[in-house]
Amino acid sequence: MKLYSLSVLYKGEAKVVLLKAAYDVSSFSFFQRSSVQEFMTFTSQLIVERSSKGTRASVKEQDYLCHVYVRNDSLAGVVIADNEYPSRVAFTLLEKVLDEFSKQVDRIDWPVGSPATIHYPALDGHLSRYQNPREADPMTKVQAELDETKIILHNTMESLLERGEKLDDLVSKSEVLGTQSKAFYKTVSTQHLLPPGCSLQRAVAACCFWHSPL
Amino acid sequence: MAETSEEVAVLVQRVVKDITNAFRRNPHIIDRCHMYPAASKPGLYHCMEREHRSSICKMRKNQQRRLLGRKELILSGTLNPIKDLHLGKLALTKFPKSPETWIHRRWVLQQLIQETSLPSFMTKGNLGTIPTERAQRLIQEEMEVCGEAAGRYPSNYNAWSHRIWVLQHLAKLDVKILLDELSSTKHWASMHVSDHSGFHYRQFLLKSLISQTVTDSSVMEQNPLRSEPALVLPKDEEAAVSTEEPRINLHHLLEEEVEFSTDLIDSYPGHETLWCHRRHIFYLQHHLNGSQLSQAMEVDGLNDSSKQGYSQETKRLKRTPAPDSLGLEMEHRFIDQILSTCRNVEQARFASAYRKWLVTLSQ
Repeated sequence: MKLYSLSVLYKGEAKVVLLKAAYDVSSFSFFQRSSVQEFMTFTSQLIVERSSKGTRASVKEQDYLCHVYVRNDSLAGVVIADNEYPSRVAFTLLEKVLDEFSKQVDRIDWPVGSPATIHYPALDGHLSRYQNPREADPMTKVQAELDETKIILHNTMESLLERGEKLDDLVSKSEVLGTQSKAFYKTVSTQHLLPPGCSLQRAVAACCFWHSPL
Repeated sequence: MAETSEEVAVLVQRVVKDITNAFRRNPHIIDRCHMYPAASKPGLYHCMEREHRSSICKMRKNQQRRLLGRKELILSGTLNPIKDLHLGKLALTKFPKSPETWIHRRWVLQQLIQETSLPSFMTKGNLGTIPTERAQRLIQEEMEVCGEAAGRYPSNYNAWSHRIWVLQHLAKLDVKILLDELSSTKHWASMHVSDHSGFHYRQFLLKSLISQTVTDSSVMEQNPLRSEPALVLPKDEEAAVSTEEPRINLHHLLEEEVEFSTDLIDSYPGHETLWCHRRHIFYLQHHLNGSQLSQAMEVDGLNDSSKQGYSQETKRLKRTPAPDSLGLEMEHRFIDQILSTCRNVEQARFASAYRKWLVTLSQ
């Protein structure tokens, strides 16, 4: 079971701002790591954009599960995990991180912040510690106060998109994805290795050759 | 692109030379190597290792020819099998599933066992054979390679089957090694709760431990009228102790595995693999209790024939209810507890299915 990324974001009126992020892309091959990281940022931002304030959701994409918590004060957190990682612990982590963040970083800095300007060093440590859910959260078995029935479940990333919206367009418009990542995504799509408007998971997987046939 | 076997052989020799030199300069290369496709030539892969800019590993797409070439080199004595195993280990970092690589690996291991002048096993009196230090090192290395490959690809059947093969053919199901494997893979299994192959490996270990132990005790049972049981060396009891024949309590091992399963099912709701594993363990317990009960009955019969009469012990055995009905009761209680407290839809489904299965078992 694995955690790949942990991000803190702000859901502004106009757009979603990334405040701080931690990544563990060690399981991806060397050359794919920066692209994978960019796609994870892109995904996190997209999910927060499409989630309402005061909600929790889990977005499933084959082997990945993206858990999101958007607070009523517009502070949001996203953790991208594999499908073995217990979602209960993921939400406990998000709750904890956002609580700590809101105490350490002034509210006034949220709408205009960026990873470079925001001072919140604990995120990497949290990501690393929570790689082993039972060590990080020994009370996993205890029923969380959180009512799991209130967590919205999305079976694909596509269900977050609006009618007629294409992932390809979002990718090409994205400010978060570098030219190399976009070019890669495009090449892979046009070579029919991935169908047009493909799932995000395949895009990330295409970067890392994890599921490449032999 | 047509290739003659000579061309292949030349290419392979060049590759081997490059690799040998690379390893000579830096034996720890394997930890830092990553494979990536060469943009210029499809089907070729380079190994990215900063200190060795030239492509160290040219792996052609046509694996069969390449592996055949390597076999020829090994048989002719040009390529050291151990070096070939290193190369294979590297290939598995990029292609952790590759069936041809695993198959070739087994061929190389067999060559190593057969052609070496040192025996792989030493006999230790009546206690059978144990693997030599050399064999143990080979086995350990294979366990590591399998472990890494298993981590690189989920439910990597080829890696786990290879691991089983090594235990069967290199380790000859040595009990101490089986026990070591059981304890050393426990943490990995707990961190890969939907890796079916990983849990199947634990089932294999337990089954093998049962078969290895029961075989020994049934040898004992066959000669109950002898003054000494067949396994103990009456002359040299000290030697018997020092060869570290582990005492296995099979019931305890199985109970521990059930506890492990309970712990995981509680912590990680909704993973079918864990429930499947539980079925296997329960079945093993059920089977073990059944067979031991029938063995106890046999002893009873033989005692009778030697006119020793019924001992208090055998009378007690006949009166106790079958141990597994108690186990069944506990399982049903476990299921009830899960169903009453879980909020995960899948978990509830698996728990109900498990209950249905238990009912069929007791029919």
